[in-house]
Amino acid sequence: MSNATQFYVTTLLIYGAVSIIACWGLDLQFGDTGILNFAFIMFQAAGAYTAAVLTLGPSTQSNPLSNYQQYVFGASVPYPVSVFAAALVGALLSYPIGVVALRRLRSDYQAVAMLVVSLIATTVVISDTGLLDGERGLFLIPKPLRDSADTLLGYQWLYVGISCVFLAVVLWVIARISRAPLGRSLRAIRESESAAAALGKNVLSLRMGAFVVGNMIAAISGALLVQYIGSWSPNGWLYPETFVYLGAIIIGGAANKLGVLIGALLLPVGISEGVRYLPSFGGPGFVDAVQFMLIGVLIIAFMWFRPRGLVPERRRTFGNPRWSFRRRTPGAGVATAMPSADEQGLAG
Amino acid sequence: MSLILPTIGFSLISASILALAAVGFTLQFGVTNILNLAFAEVMTSSAFVAYWVNSRGISIWIGMLVAGLFGAILSLLINRWLYRPFIRSGTRLFGLIIVSMGLALIIQNGVLAITGPGFFTYDQPHGLAFDVAGIRFTYTELAILLIAVVAMAAVHLLLTRTRLGKAMRACSADSALARCSGVPTARVVDIAWLLSGALAGIAGVTLFMNTTAFSVTTSGDFLVVIIAAAILGGVGDAYGAMLGALIIGFATEFSALFLNSAYKTAIAFVILVVVLLIRPQGVRAAFAAAREVQT
Repeated sequence: MSNATQFYVTTLLIYGAVSIIACWGLDLQFGDTGILNFAFIMFQAAGAYTAAVLTLGPSTQSNPLSNYQQYVFGASVPYPVSVFAAALVGALLSYPIGVVALRRLRSDYQAVAMLVVSLIATTVVISDTGLLDGERGLFLIPKPLRDSADTLLGYQWLYVGISCVFLAVVLWVIARISRAPLGRSLRAIRESESAAAALGKNVLSLRMGAFVVGNMIAAISGALLVQYIGSWSPNGWLYPETFVYLGAIIIGGAANKLGVLIGALLLPVGISEGVRYLPSFGGPGFVDAVQFMLIGVLIIAFMWFRPRGLVPERRRTFGNPRWSFRRRTPGAGVATAMPSADEQGLAG
Repeated sequence: MSLILPTIGFSLISASILALAAVGFTLQFGVTNILNLAFAEVMTSSAFVAYWVNSRGISIWIGMLVAGLFGAILSLLINRWLYRPFIRSGTRLFGLIIVSMGLALIIQNGVLAITGPGFFTYDQPHGLAFDVAGIRFTYTELAILLIAVVAMAAVHLLLTRTRLGKAMRACSADSALARCSGVPTARVVDIAWLLSGALAGIAGVTLFMNTTAFSVTTSGDFLVVIIAAAILGGVGDAYGAMLGALIIGFATEFSALFLNSAYKTAIAFVILVVVLLIRPQGVRAAFAAAREVQT
């Protein structure tokens, strides 16, 4: 591969990893637990801002990076700490929001509450320029461990490695949750809150748990992304971005890790890269608009023709081998051939 | 303070625009129980239809009528071709929100692809300030106020004086019971979508008339303000939505006197969060008693 190709491929791999991590986090909430978190992108942003502020250095005159931008709590912490701090901020932020939004409200009211939280966050960050540099956003964010690689290309591959480590850790965490009795409880809540509550499950605290862990994963994805691209502004996390991740999960297959992975590669990465190869046409912004329209069309088409996504959720039956994506028990085969009521739509 | 009187004026105008939209939103949400995230996009697309009419040299008031008509038809078609098939196939609350989200993306970006990201202004009558009780209104502002009052009165008469209005209120309070009592719910739902779309169209045009220059995204964040007004008043309750619009109109404009005006809309959002926390049924409890908002 030529250097340019390698550069492009590594960039795609990093974007792909970030998008997969984010989608897995959202899927823990949406697919497994049935929380419609319209504020998801805000948690990714929170992680990104945390990582950025903690690596830009103190916001004093002597720090050249802070001369062009304003931010609070500047520090320069060693590498993985910034990501952990991001995850911590994501978790801390989840609690007050979860208390408001996860109360026993109807799911559409919950969705509205989340949407509002996301909009409030955007408004505050844009209006309060002293906080995180407002509309302009933060930039010149240092790349972590830059000295460990001699060439830029070497660094690209190093960052691919770092991304893959985080990807593996996140996969381990969510796969554990999904297989454990905890995962079963979460799915029980998704199917019927009242039934789960009747069986003695503490619905609110379980939902809160999934909410917090999902948002921590979102924050990690944000930290990973911001330290690679080096800048972050409110335009990158407007609320429709959450729709893109949700769309990826619906297309891939909610509550199926492999499906979500495929969706995450197809939608946020695949479409924006695919559009890049089209001949440029229309006015400015036309291609972006078409891209978002395509996402909308795909979401509706999948909801209609294949509401369970490309790779539907695995039926968890007794004795089902752990990693079999293909082999189905006879019962599962029948269910796929004849969609039952619960396959027609997502549980409400 | 000398700023108080003009602020009352601004509040009234904001409340008028918001009331048009919120009543439209709440009528449909109450009757159909679908959280239509594409409502703001119906407003935007109708308002751009009015722009197209207006740019042909036709008066903006006729443009507004056309926009109302367009909004009504678009809204009806959305119900017929999108939501109804999904409901029939068994998609519930959760799935319908996602469908409406997809639709919102399609319409918003469809309009964006056609119009481009620029800013637009209507060719509307300017100037001619009037003094009403010490508050100075422009011609456009007075017209918006008048349109809102007339529309609200019309909705009031419809809901209280006609059989259709009665049927709509019945569907909104308890759709299954209404059907059992012989109300043709499917037709009532269609009419609710029509009305809601017409109000969305008119609200969209008034919103854009009241902005110096509008773009595709102008009404995007406005959706949440509409939802705030509707939920504050209790979903499905048209009078509640009017009250909610008044409260939010005044709260947002008056907050600008004391706070950074950039936080104007954030105030509406904060009100919504507080309402969801304390009283998700809305402020008018008697009406809300029958509705299940807490699972």
